[in-house]
Amino acid sequence: MDIILQLLFQGIGIGSVYALVAMGFVLIFRATNVVNFAQGEFSMVAAYMMVVCAVDLGLPYWLSFLIALAGMVVIGALFNVCVYYPLRHRTYLPVIISTIGASIFLANTTLALYGPQPQVLSGWFDTPGIQIGPVYLDSQYLLIIGVTILLVAFQYWFFEKTLIGKKLQATSQDKEMASLLGIPVAAMIMLTFIYSALLGGVAGILVAPILFVSIQMGSTIALKAFAATIIGGFGDVAGAIIGGLALGIIETFGAAYISVPYKDGFAFLVLVLFLIFRPQGIFGERVAEKA
Amino acid sequence: MNFTRRQFSAGLAAGVAMPALIKAARADGATVKIGMVVPITGPGAESGKYAQTGAKIAVERINKAGGILGKPLELVIEDDQTTNPGAVLAFSKLASQPDIVAFLGSIRSTQVHAMAPDLAKVGKPMMFGGTDPALTHMGAQWLFRCRPNDSFSGRVIAAYGSETLQKKKWALVHSTDAFGTGGAKALTAALGDAGCTVALDQGYPNQSQDFSSIVLAIKQSGAEILGSYFTFETDLAIFARQLRQLGVTIPWVGSPSIIDATAVKLAGPALYGTFGVADYAEASSEASTEFGKAYRAASGNVPPDNFSAWTYDALGILTTAINAAGSTDPAKIREAIIAIKGYKGAEGEYNYDQNGDGLRGYNIVRNEKGTIVFDKHVEFKS
Repeated sequence: MDIILQLLFQGIGIGSVYALVAMGFVLIFRATNVVNFAQGEFSMVAAYMMVVCAVDLGLPYWLSFLIALAGMVVIGALFNVCVYYPLRHRTYLPVIISTIGASIFLANTTLALYGPQPQVLSGWFDTPGIQIGPVYLDSQYLLIIGVTILLVAFQYWFFEKTLIGKKLQATSQDKEMASLLGIPVAAMIMLTFIYSALLGGVAGILVAPILFVSIQMGSTIALKAFAATIIGGFGDVAGAIIGGLALGIIETFGAAYISVPYKDGFAFLVLVLFLIFRPQGIFGERVAEKA
Repeated sequence: MNFTRRQFSAGLAAGVAMPALIKAARADGATVKIGMVVPITGPGAESGKYAQTGAKIAVERINKAGGILGKPLELVIEDDQTTNPGAVLAFSKLASQPDIVAFLGSIRSTQVHAMAPDLAKVGKPMMFGGTDPALTHMGAQWLFRCRPNDSFSGRVIAAYGSETLQKKKWALVHSTDAFGTGGAKALTAALGDAGCTVALDQGYPNQSQDFSSIVLAIKQSGAEILGSYFTFETDLAIFARQLRQLGVTIPWVGSPSIIDATAVKLAGPALYGTFGVADYAEASSEASTEFGKAYRAASGNVPPDNFSAWTYDALGILTTAINAAGSTDPAKIREAIIAIKGYKGAEGEYNYDQNGDGLRGYNIVRNEKGTIVFDKHVEFKS
């Protein structure tokens, strides 16, 4: 029982990381109908900015966090202008390839600027964790779970209760109609990219104290987050969260009770099963509704 | 000025042929070239930098001492991207240059395996740092190892744990790649000979983000000591932290990655008090100390480790062999390498056998609050 609780905590912790990155995938997909393969690199770049500010320059943690987020706003905006905007009237394929190119560019630019050494970033809290009975709760995982819940709540409020959120939704549903109604579509898409970059950045900064800061940290998380998005239903935020958590838990229990070497296999086995039997995902809208 | 068609054709032909002619003229003698396959990008890029520094120190020394056959040594470097396809591609780029006389392969066994079939076709010597014992026992005549193989590291880990630390019930954690599986196999065999039992033998895929299930399995297995073969430092550091967080405090003797500079920095206190086998230990011999000094000077006081020591030794051995052979003919170089006895390198004393293994000893070191301390050297006869 103790072991099950411990595994459950670890699974939810790592699953929350997938969920955070998956939310970024979903938002961009909804707004532009393309998958942004550089979403993982957003996490990596934000973690490096954090290392530069908090470790190299010795700034306070909260200030470094704000600077890194500001950096992500710039990167999100630049990404929109350079990677998506010039190709916005093309089919989805050139845009996807463009995001893959951008992901390689971001990874190698960081490598060239910062060098290949993995870096250590301390966590938010001085206490590494708390022991509750037989279960050890890593404070950083607790923080990740907390932030995920907060962001989900924020996202619900933002998209359902605010005017700008509704404009964003309208843009993602039908760009032409939205534009006819006077919604500035280009600005809305810009906002989506910035928000997605922020989400990816937050995920990267939160996970850095656990997985360390390295060039490939983004791609490993993004691959799982991508699977989580498909499981949850592409285009659905709640689905991405459930998908991410489910993936984290399946992976952790699969590793503990079936096989560690096939751990990554379980995640993708679930993905394949979903693609075969429920391609629209758990919460996915039917294609007919979208048309 | 007007050109006739013939003048124009002649000029064009000369222009087209010129780069090849210049190249041929340069190949004809300016330098002796050795190709180096090394990760410049990918997860191993960090270690690739160390490897290049080690090699560059060797090149400087060799050229200062008169070079190879009286000519300066020149390194030709290709990026293997830390992947097997990348290594094969990098190697084929080098192999297509006929003036390269020998190669430095990878420190990663899986990549040496990947390059081995092409190397056999090319038929020139390759020094490498991978420690999978199979590499020198599969009939590949052009592979020469510059580190002791894992049958020795396994025997040293087993001997130290069972005799010095007096622990008999083991848990093994290893990567599922060629290096990790080969190492774990060798360690299991050595433990059997030493009369120990293996309570848990657990492989993991490289670049794992979570090791909690393995840590819990170790806890449940009731093992008294942990032996490990980790390939990547980030994996090792994440595992070490989770091990301590979940309250596992049994002694831990690991393969060389446990004491490499990056792992020690990343894991911090989680690795304090652990033991590692190291083919390179700065205080283990005069040659090791001397290399350590040169490396610290060249790298801005980064502590030296096996990533840089083996490339340093590899170039030294190749130089000695080619100079002794008096020729860059591959067969003659091979004979000269096998004839090497008592070569004092940074990694230890090299005595090559027919298989291409030169070293048979390891050092045991401890992590003393983040500083790696030399404990003792264990040498085997065969």
